[in-house]
Amino acid sequence: MFSRIKRYFMRPRSHFLAFLLCSLMLPSIAVVLVAVVGMASQENAMEAAVSSYVQDLAESMSYHLSNDSDIWTFQLLTDFSRFPFFSWGPSIPGWVALLSQEGKVIASSPGAMNIAAIWRPDLPVGHAVRTEDRQGAQYTLAVYPVKRPGGGYVVAAVSWSQLLGGLVGVVRIWPALIVMIALSSFFAIRLLWSRLVIPLQSIASEIDSMTLGKDVPGKFDEAVVKEIESVQTALTRLAQAAVDRDNLRNRYVRDVVQAQERERMDMAREIHDGPLQDVTALLQQIHMIDDTEKENVRIQRTEQIAKSVVRELRALCDELAPPWMDLGFSEALTELSERLSQAYDVEIITDFDDVIHDLDIENEKILSLLRIIQEAVSNAVRHGGASEINIAVHKDDNDVLTIEISDNGSGFDSANINHETLRVEGHRGLASMTERMSLMGGTLKIESKTGEGTTITASFKV
Amino acid sequence: MTVKILLADDHPLTRSGIAEFVKRESTFELVAEAENGLDAWEKIQTLKPNVALLDIRMPGMDGVTVAQKVKNEGLNTAIVMLTSYDAQQYVIASLRAGARGFVLKTVSPKELTTAINTVAKGGLYLDPEVASVMGEQDFIPEQLSVREREVLLLAAKGLSSKEVAKRLFISERTVQTHLASIYDKLGSRNKTEALLLALKYGVVTLEELLEED
Repeated sequence: MFSRIKRYFMRPRSHFLAFLLCSLMLPSIAVVLVAVVGMASQENAMEAAVSSYVQDLAESMSYHLSNDSDIWTFQLLTDFSRFPFFSWGPSIPGWVALLSQEGKVIASSPGAMNIAAIWRPDLPVGHAVRTEDRQGAQYTLAVYPVKRPGGGYVVAAVSWSQLLGGLVGVVRIWPALIVMIALSSFFAIRLLWSRLVIPLQSIASEIDSMTLGKDVPGKFDEAVVKEIESVQTALTRLAQAAVDRDNLRNRYVRDVVQAQERERMDMAREIHDGPLQDVTALLQQIHMIDDTEKENVRIQRTEQIAKSVVRELRALCDELAPPWMDLGFSEALTELSERLSQAYDVEIITDFDDVIHDLDIENEKILSLLRIIQEAVSNAVRHGGASEINIAVHKDDNDVLTIEISDNGSGFDSANINHETLRVEGHRGLASMTERMSLMGGTLKIESKTGEGTTITASFKV
Repeated sequence: MTVKILLADDHPLTRSGIAEFVKRESTFELVAEAENGLDAWEKIQTLKPNVALLDIRMPGMDGVTVAQKVKNEGLNTAIVMLTSYDAQQYVIASLRAGARGFVLKTVSPKELTTAINTVAKGGLYLDPEVASVMGEQDFIPEQLSVREREVLLLAAKGLSSKEVAKRLFISERTVQTHLASIYDKLGSRNKTEALLLALKYGVVTLEELLEED
């Protein structure tokens, strides 16, 4: 049993805090309820006691006055206090009086002067009633008739204000105290809610919506308890650290990629200006050999080898960093798409905005874009079996250049692309395309559906 | 008649190879060698050769810029680009700059002789190796229609299909249809090749291509 309760509280519960607050609130509500019920029943009990008391008093007085002629004397009447009935208990103060039929006080116990003011001829006879005087003071009184010539009434009464005395104060303060307890616990709970529960909720939702390494939580502006504040500070610091670390990593990756590209460009240039020229010179020398000697098969073979070395070195340059990149963005794009079209034997339809002729894009970016297009075309043909590829380049009014490469290949389910998985599985292509664009401060979108071809959209600000 | 030739190449080995060959031909006279673009430009101005063989990639000023200067100054020197760049876009860029020949440095002496003689007489010479189809000598192209010629010339200036359509007041689709028909008639696979083949077959002239609109 105990362990089950313990388990209940150990498990994370969505309404746990609300539950906790309710359980704090419940005792206060219980105290208020018990107090109200207690007070009501105490008043009932006292009312019953007082009623029977005044009834007994009035009844025995009237009995004695009706049947005992000896005491029906003025003497006695003037000295009411001698009556044994007037020996009041210490707890219940009360008065008794003898009234004439017209309501005039004939005799009374001390202090009962205002009984005449309370008595009305229409009051019921023979049992106790609760009434009040003109000032609103509460009384319980009983009226009994005197059965003798001349008649009259015996009236016995107890004043509630005298009966309860000091207790009245306490009784009046009680509800106020209880209301105060209720209010203060209500306000305490409200404070607890606004300073603890809501900030906790906002921290939770902040953590929930935050991409670690990309975002830092927004400013927490609610007034909160110190502990929550330290949690918020710690969270902000943690997120900031993650962002810093990610930035550092991105910078590192960018540096590596840039260094790599620069090295490739340098290497391509070295090859182009060095070995390629040397072999070309060699070929020229072979060309100069006299025609008679040229019949020699060995010389012909040497010429073939030199030519093939030139072709291989050119291909290597193109692979590393095509020298025709220097011509500019639109020429490089045209050259690349025509080369790809021939290399893969696929129709490539280009649609370039005329404004791209005037674009001045750094060689490194051009190289990145060429590699992306190369990768996209290669994927479209090798994996998608595409026969037609469209390359469209547009620039919008915000200077955002968009390159869209779409094919009529078999496509794939692009909703399930996960770059990490692709990388792990060795498919670096898509991942590196995305990486290149993000390093250029741009984006890459891959849209594909099985049987509907693929569209790759790269955009960045020029 | 001897052809006066200037040779500009920053690479000493290839330069001396070509120079040796030029000197060997009796009808050619090597008037100057230059090892950079600026040097070449100055020597062209003073020596006024009939033909200048220019490397594209040279320190200081590249060959295409030198060709452009020669064209702008209206000098009577025919330019042959002599390069190891095999990109068709370089051919287009060179022709736009006013060059009349484009030859790879691996060219055979016979072809180089033909190239020099052709441009010296005002003709156009393009190395067959730059575009493989250009070597198919037996291909006889079909005549292009007037509209097709217009489309080809505008496209050759680097205009997009959309822009060509706008200029000729026809739809973009019609432009595409014209282009497909042009490729078919010339036996080309793309715009650049179509233009080079059209130049080669004399369907369009270099002057038409260079016309400013």
